[in-house]
Amino acid sequence: MMSSLSQAGRVDAAAPSRGRFVNSGHGPSLHVIDIGHADYTAVIDPDTAFWSLVRKDQLASTFAGGSLLKAYREKAQTFAEEMHTLRFGLKPSAVYFNPTERCNLDCTYCYIPGAMRRGGEHMSAERLLDALARLKAHFDATVPEGLKPQIVFHGAEPMLNRDAVFAGIEAFDGQFRFGIQTNATLLDESAVEFLTAHNVAIGLSLDAATPAIANRTRKNWAGDGIFKHVIAAMERLRGYDAWSVIGTVTKVNLRHLVPLVEFLHGHEVPTTLLNVVRCTLPGAREVKPDDAEAAKYFLKALDRTYELYQETGRKLPVANFANILLAIIAPSARRLMCDISPCGGGRCFFALAPSGDCFPCSEFIGLEAFNGGNLFRDDLAAVLDSAPFRAVTGRRVEDIEPCSHCAIRHFCGSPCPAEAHEMNGGMDQVGAFCEFYEEQVRYALRLIADGRHEAFLWDGWDAGTETTFDLLLS
Amino acid sequence: MKTTKKPAVIAFRRACQATGTGLSHYILVDGKAK
Repeated sequence: MMSSLSQAGRVDAAAPSRGRFVNSGHGPSLHVIDIGHADYTAVIDPDTAFWSLVRKDQLASTFAGGSLLKAYREKAQTFAEEMHTLRFGLKPSAVYFNPTERCNLDCTYCYIPGAMRRGGEHMSAERLLDALARLKAHFDATVPEGLKPQIVFHGAEPMLNRDAVFAGIEAFDGQFRFGIQTNATLLDESAVEFLTAHNVAIGLSLDAATPAIANRTRKNWAGDGIFKHVIAAMERLRGYDAWSVIGTVTKVNLRHLVPLVEFLHGHEVPTTLLNVVRCTLPGAREVKPDDAEAAKYFLKALDRTYELYQETGRKLPVANFANILLAIIAPSARRLMCDISPCGGGRCFFALAPSGDCFPCSEFIGLEAFNGGNLFRDDLAAVLDSAPFRAVTGRRVEDIEPCSHCAIRHFCGSPCPAEAHEMNGGMDQVGAFCEFYEEQVRYALRLIADGRHEAFLWDGWDAGTETTFDLLLS
Repeated sequence: MKTTKKPAVIAFRRACQATGTGLSHYILVDGKAK
């Protein structure tokens, strides 16, 4: 008996189907999603991350056939291949480089164990330079020509090992794109001068617009808050175009996100990230907000950024939300790789501890079971293919409930594997939040329906992109 | 009074070379940082 070849290229001898019908056989699987909009419903193919917005009075006729289905059939295979490349075809091009285990702060939700942050290892300048040389040799052989790999000094607090970090930036100037994520307490005038002169991207951390709230979660070992240090650093950075402020969203600051975005906008912060707290370690779970509450106040903050843009003509992109918008309208243009499955951990980037030990992501530093090997002793290619790395790079939404049948699984990605493993008991579990992401996707689709989405994206987001689908039916 | 009806269907998508993608959500290395 001859076999048939479906549209997706699968051979099905027992049950031939030409894929002529929606939601049966090999036909496209299109989910109808209520997005809370007065006029539009979303129609999504979860596998290809294809979306469309269909006017509610046109839903039945759209499914019966016509221009949308015809146009989508022509592109479905291309979109499937695009998603496959994005999910499985990339190679690491960035490293979260921890030059020290120590931190001068003891923040409530830190994912690095306290003992490590109190008295951990410092990397010497000599060893740091050696590490950068090894990483450069690896990336020279793996990263496509013309792309510059990225090194983000991360922590713990990287500025505690300032001399070694600055020596590395100076020695490898122009060979990597450098970034530093810092709590700002040590970001004095000379540090800012050095980092901005070397075009280093700088990320600060601040959770609220007032010391009374901000200092509750971000404080030193004596319990004293550091709000004033962050503000001083923000003033020094005003006018620089490659810096951002990260706020960690917890139940402590949730109701204060609107004043926070007003404060950041007032200080001309180019970009912010309002990341919901990662619940990998037990301390973080104590300040975990409820999903619905988190969504409610997070979306209010987004609304406020839109108003501020209308009032002033200046945007404050909330990059983690902007990334979800991009996951919808231009999946391959994403800049952040947490909200995709598998996540970027171990396959787009990895984390390096001061000892040279490599972990799929900073979130796993402190979890010895996820140590994939050592940069100074082992072959890096073998480390990236080690069992601990494969445990993370092999985590797919298709293997997780309820994600396997969720329409927005490629807009959310079911973050994060560290949470899933430590909080919920395994890589095949969801992370700490679900409805929070559902609400963000619904909000994003409403913005698109109303033509307001550009206001939430950074300028130039579409540089280097091309249109692959464009349908506006009257 | 004349009213303009909203489009029946809105759908668009853009794509680019994804090989340069590679960050978690902890820091946004801006494109301007060379």
